[in-house]
Amino acid sequence: MQIVVCVKPVPEAETRLRVATGGATFDPEGVKFVLAGYDESAVEQALLLKESVPGSSVHVVSAGPGPRTEEVLRSAIALGCDRATWVELPGEAASDPIAAARAVAPALENPPPDLVLCGKQAGDDEAGLFFSALGELLGVPSFGFVVDLRWDAARTAFTFQRPTEAGAERWEAPGTVVVGLQQAWNDPRTAKLPNILKSRRAPIAKVVATPAPATNRSEAFALPPPRTGARMIDYKTPEDAAQQLVRILREDAKVFP
Amino acid sequence: MVDFSLTPEQESLRDLARKFARTEMAPHAAECDKTARFPEEIYRKAYELGLMNLNVPSEYGGSGLGVFEQCLLVEELAYACGGMTTSIIANCLALEPILLGGTPEQRQRFLAPFCAEYHLASFCLTEPTGGSDAAALRTRARRDGDHYVLDGEKCFITNAPHASLYTVFATVDPEKRTKGITAFVVPRSARGVAPGRDEEKMGHRASSTSTVRFEGVEVPEADRLGAEGEGFAIAMRTLDQTRTPIGALATGIAQAALDHAAAYSLKRVTFGKPIAEHEAIQIKLANMAQAVRAARLLTWNAAWTIDGGRKGTLESSIAKCFASDAALHVADEAIQTFGGYGYMKEYPVEKLLRDAKLTQIYEGANEIQRTVIARELLREYA
Repeated sequence: MQIVVCVKPVPEAETRLRVATGGATFDPEGVKFVLAGYDESAVEQALLLKESVPGSSVHVVSAGPGPRTEEVLRSAIALGCDRATWVELPGEAASDPIAAARAVAPALENPPPDLVLCGKQAGDDEAGLFFSALGELLGVPSFGFVVDLRWDAARTAFTFQRPTEAGAERWEAPGTVVVGLQQAWNDPRTAKLPNILKSRRAPIAKVVATPAPATNRSEAFALPPPRTGARMIDYKTPEDAAQQLVRILREDAKVFP
Repeated sequence: MVDFSLTPEQESLRDLARKFARTEMAPHAAECDKTARFPEEIYRKAYELGLMNLNVPSEYGGSGLGVFEQCLLVEELAYACGGMTTSIIANCLALEPILLGGTPEQRQRFLAPFCAEYHLASFCLTEPTGGSDAAALRTRARRDGDHYVLDGEKCFITNAPHASLYTVFATVDPEKRTKGITAFVVPRSARGVAPGRDEEKMGHRASSTSTVRFEGVEVPEADRLGAEGEGFAIAMRTLDQTRTPIGALATGIAQAALDHAAAYSLKRVTFGKPIAEHEAIQIKLANMAQAVRAARLLTWNAAWTIDGGRKGTLESSIAKCFASDAALHVADEAIQTFGGYGYMKEYPVEKLLRDAKLTQIYEGANEIQRTVIARELLREYA
């Protein structure tokens, strides 16, 4: 089974972002980019499938500028992906999900792989457009919010579920399908030290993409306002603290009569 | 040009240790400290990820890291728990004599099966009557045909109750002092090897420490490392390699103390403002930050010296001595910043002081480090 997994380098969750000059995006200077969130689950899913279906291999693909894109590809190799392709794309184009899909589609196998896995949305802009755009460009069906993806050897098809408000949909895909994976229904593994060392020396295929015309652009980027409204209760005993809290909730916040 | 930045490889190794420290070690640090539990499940996970036999070359199944990379990892681990870190890196200390003194055949025979699965090893040098004065050790190795018979007792041995392999230093002739000391590899399964009970310790309580008795233990000549009388040199060269990571361990404890103190100082309000706005606390934090960074830079300098192929005795002694003194001082100041809360076990900083204390004592007490520093230094002036 040929599995492709598409990943995007995103700022580490603990990073403190600053607004870039011009105000349209954040300043990437000093920001650590990582493989994270939904993409981490997608890589884990690809590796679980590879381990359960003999003769499978996982090809990890990412579109974006260096060095962050190369770094997340090496992270994916350290986790167990077999080969990697870096579609080099300027940061601006890579942050446009449609443009990124246009850059990635030609870099995929011909004939197409059996399965293309993506996070259902990126951990930074959370646009959630890439997987469906890629499915459209490849001419194959795409599904988002997917959980419990399995290969059913008897039926030679992928089976998966989509949780909805009314219940869970169960699907079966006999041919190539692009999947946007829901986070955290698997427990992503940690790369082992020797594999991290090996991943540094692994070859990474590089494709230089011509950016497609932008389909959108960021106008302004702002950090959330600092949180306010916290109020400390000065108290002498726990009973005193509880009484004051009840009074504040009742009289000031008016959350109950 | 001197460059203090890390390579992408070094960053990803550090990230691995940081993730492991924060997700696997930190949540259990307080509990293991309180109950003196030896969290073997955490050490197994450390082994599985390749965080245990850091100095053993990959051809024998270790991680094959240089001292600098070891220091990066050790600092991250110690940030979460100094005691667990001591137990995780004890294999590096115990196996180094085999790397330095073993023949290729011995390295293959001892290290490959050892590193192929989770095992602990202990470095057995210190004795009840001789720690810093290692040359005064009394454990005897008597030659008997094609083997030796070991008799004696070692103490303060890290991981000893859980180890399957010991590297043991014994004398073939006490009259010869250092020239009689000889190194051996002794499996736990050998008849007459008896680790003692876990010691109750002030800190590093997630680590395990005990005596090890050797009573008529037969050791084949093939399991002797180096020639008779080469043991002291092997032990000293081992400590030259492993002393620097202790500087990193101390730096990790110090960094944790600074981070706790700084974060607390921004939240705690006295006289109408956060204590971080009081000059008395600012001076503390500034001094703590200087000590932490100096400790790290001295450690990095020692590691860089050793990885460059030089002995680095002076540099590693300075790093270990300075960083461990810094750790104790910074942990002390962190407690002072917390005030009464800092003295309470409910808060994390008093543990840091107890853990920091050991770094001044083990792997060569700081008094010995200063003796070494002065000796190496004066050699330059003589």
